[in-house]
Amino acid sequence: MMNQMQADAQNATQLGNSLELLADMGRDFAGSGDIDATLVRALERITDYLNAEGGALFLLADDDRLLTCHSCVGETEITGITLKSDHGIVGRCVQTNTGEIVRDVSKDPNFDSSVDEKTGFTTKSILCAPLSVKDEVLGAIELINKKGGDNLFDPADLTLLEVLSNSAALAILNARMAERLVEQEKTRRELELAAEIQRNLLPSAPGPDHPIDGINIPARTVSGDFYDFFSLPDGRIIFCLGDVSGKGMNAALLMAKTASLFRCLGKTINSPGRLLGVINSEICETATRGMFITMIAGYFDPDTDEICFANAGHEPPLYLPGEENAPHQSFAAEAPPIGISPMVVPEEGYPEEKICLDFGSFYVFTDGVTEGEMEDGSMLGVSGVIELLNKGRARSLQSRLHGITQRLDRGDGDLHDDITILGISRAGGADRNDGTPLVSRRLPARAKNLKTIRTVVGEALSEEKVDEKIAAEVVLAIDEACQNIIRHAYGKECDKDISLEVHLRDDRLEVNLTDEAPPIDLEAVKPRNLDEIRPGGLGTHFISEIMDEVTYSHLESGTGNRLHMVKTIS
Amino acid sequence: MEHTQREENGCTIVAFTGDIDLESSPDVRRVLLDCVKANDSVIVDLSGVDYIDSSGVASMVEAFQTTRAGSGQFSLAAVSESALRVLQLARLDKVFTIYGSVEEGLADGG
Repeated sequence: MMNQMQADAQNATQLGNSLELLADMGRDFAGSGDIDATLVRALERITDYLNAEGGALFLLADDDRLLTCHSCVGETEITGITLKSDHGIVGRCVQTNTGEIVRDVSKDPNFDSSVDEKTGFTTKSILCAPLSVKDEVLGAIELINKKGGDNLFDPADLTLLEVLSNSAALAILNARMAERLVEQEKTRRELELAAEIQRNLLPSAPGPDHPIDGINIPARTVSGDFYDFFSLPDGRIIFCLGDVSGKGMNAALLMAKTASLFRCLGKTINSPGRLLGVINSEICETATRGMFITMIAGYFDPDTDEICFANAGHEPPLYLPGEENAPHQSFAAEAPPIGISPMVVPEEGYPEEKICLDFGSFYVFTDGVTEGEMEDGSMLGVSGVIELLNKGRARSLQSRLHGITQRLDRGDGDLHDDITILGISRAGGADRNDGTPLVSRRLPARAKNLKTIRTVVGEALSEEKVDEKIAAEVVLAIDEACQNIIRHAYGKECDKDISLEVHLRDDRLEVNLTDEAPPIDLEAVKPRNLDEIRPGGLGTHFISEIMDEVTYSHLESGTGNRLHMVKTIS
Repeated sequence: MEHTQREENGCTIVAFTGDIDLESSPDVRRVLLDCVKANDSVIVDLSGVDYIDSSGVASMVEAFQTTRAGSGQFSLAAVSESALRVLQLARLDKVFTIYGSVEEGLADGG
């Protein structure tokens, strides 16, 4: 018979040992990269500490319909066996999310003796605790037959098993979360690669006087929208714009296929109606059920000013006449989208429309534009598109298109749908520059593009026989200005564009750089004092030292900045 | 951007080839800082560099300051005319020790 003091001392030692085990396990979970091995080790320790003949750790699987034995300790090997998740004592423990002691399993109606029958083991008593974090049950730990003493598990055993199970459950949950994060990161990287390939499918930015231009802004990383245009040997320019139903990777892949078909077939098929017809049969042969593409394809002939196009189920394109206040025209589709059935298209292809541009302009866009939300949450709508285009009619085509997209894409990543718009217009507008620019480039704001910019400007200046030293300095100033756009206006490298135009007017070399970043603080752009020797802040100084005139301003649209620089090169 | 590195007379000679711009300057910065941390005496061979921008100059300044903090020697050698012009624009041509060639720098004791 122990006296009270002896009993207290023994309890204290036991508590100390239990805490030590808990701490050890916690350390093991925290330090391990291999959750499975750690769980096996934990189960061994628990079984040993609680003096049980055997132990098993079960995890829910198959949408919680099954319990699988993850690991076991003892004479019988049951790792890998599965049972229904409401089966046996372990099933009851998982369903009720409560631990329990079953002192005599033969009296428990839920006890399943089939495992004993198979293994020859005799289960007498069971201690079972759920592996759970709050209400989320992941499985259970079950201990079989207490060794020594009265061969019975007691309430203190249960409490300890519950505490240990909780800590194991937390570790499992953490490991699963970490795994999911790694998986997500992998997917994100793959999506970015896909997005890059997609961007390369779009045509490169044409010069400012090119009659056709377009913009595509994906709502997610990849886009289901596309546009394209290229010149044919006879001088005509072929164009298209399409919208694949749905978003995400499947839409992006179908977009890639359709865009490739257009590029390839557009070179040989002379009629837009027939071109869409052939694309339709090709897509129908292989398309996934339920996916389709609305698309407009056409030709613009700069010699005759004629546009001929066909519309496969797409939003009506718009024609805005040259004279102010003249009513616009829109052209509703008379044939279904591509990819639904090869039978629905007449043999000669999709019906065609012809219009004469005649100082007006022609626009094709996706529903991401008309259904796009403006800052106040209202939809832009067709009327909004027409209003913006009419207001911007004095401006260049590129700036008109930007005017639309900037109203919808405020750079806050909150786009509901891809935005794509393509325009055809001969009127250069008021901001068209006299004479052809030496350089006109639009490139994503990335460090790797700076070399391209330097090469292009360097070659253009060398061709104009600009003095080598002056040319090198101007190249430096432009490079530094682009760096400022990347580092300060955008804040980091991104896929938004930097537009560069260089003009030579007599002995004045004029440089215009514009970005699509939020307005910068014009007062903050100042060169620093050079007496202080320190890294950084030199770029702005270089620009002001090299160029004769340097003016920063905000673009009228509310987004974007312009840097105007002049160097006299007499 | 590529670089080679060798030791001579107790001096680290690091040679860069290509443009030092926003894309490559983070690498250049790392290489230079590693050099000046490992050796008190460093000569940067710029004979293969035609273009250097403000971010490249900033890397040089940072390495220079790191050496100076340890009272070592940090000098540039074989600086092309265009790169020299950039150092002049930054008013740093008088701050850095600039040698006509690496050999000249070594003869001078790095």
